[in-house]
Amino acid sequence: MIRLRGAMLLVMLVAVPAVAVAAESGIPLPRGWVGTTSQWVRGFGIALVLLNLALVAFAWRSLRHNVAVTAVARGWLLVSIGLVPIMVAFLSFAHGLEGSTTVAACGSCHVMGPFVSDLQNVKSDTLAATHFKNRYIQEHHCYTCHSDYGLAGTLKAKLEGLGHVWRYSTGSYVLPIKIAQPYPNVRCLGCHGESQKFLNATGHPKEEMPNLMRGSTSCLDCHGPAHPKPEKAAMR
Amino acid sequence: MSVRPTRVRVLQLALALTMVFDLLALLLLARSTPVIFTIFMFVGQPLLLVALIALGGAVLADLRAKELI
Repeated sequence: MIRLRGAMLLVMLVAVPAVAVAAESGIPLPRGWVGTTSQWVRGFGIALVLLNLALVAFAWRSLRHNVAVTAVARGWLLVSIGLVPIMVAFLSFAHGLEGSTTVAACGSCHVMGPFVSDLQNVKSDTLAATHFKNRYIQEHHCYTCHSDYGLAGTLKAKLEGLGHVWRYSTGSYVLPIKIAQPYPNVRCLGCHGESQKFLNATGHPKEEMPNLMRGSTSCLDCHGPAHPKPEKAAMR
Repeated sequence: MSVRPTRVRVLQLALALTMVFDLLALLLLARSTPVIFTIFMFVGQPLLLVALIALGGAVLADLRAKELI
């Protein structure tokens, strides 16, 4: 019986990451494709959670009929509280952090719906939709344009994200949704700033370059709008 | 009905907290949304921390009882 349970557990541990890897489809994948890091993080995370739930059950059973903590119970406790959950915490946090940068994560709040719909609309000519449909940005489209570069930019974006979750959950947001600060040029220049297409464009005369670099002329003055005008009624 | 020592009860509580942590982690891994991630960070991880402190406390108490420290 114990061997059967062990075999089932082993099958589950191997099968879960494989299922997570096979779950996503799309364009043909390169030969020998074994999935992305985040798919494996997710798969191993799920496998470790299931393993730990089983370990917690064993540990509980080893404590149930005893008035003292036996050596066997101590072993189960150490693994089920002290060892495996730390790995689960690490993998889950990494997965959550990665997941919170996806377009789906931004679109999970209904107030973002019109912006995400426009982004994914191939007929839309807004700046965001143009970047999306031509894959000027490969992935994490919302996050890439709405976070600054470097570690400080990531931390700032995460803190702002917490504020967004709080305001969304408590309903303390104001419609129509607007960007908190004027959109800084530095986020555009991070990708475009050193490209020849940008530097040699007729619309970017040499005398205007300092203003663009300083941000005193906004990129959106000529290239906007980035998103459709938020309509109050559409966001309720 | 036997009366269980406090140490066993504390360890059972730590196991229960670990189980809640596991379920929140499973929810996050299965369906990653910003709200679930926030709940995991501010509820799940502190629960695990409490469970670890309880386990550490029980281990220390055990070692003291055996006069090893």
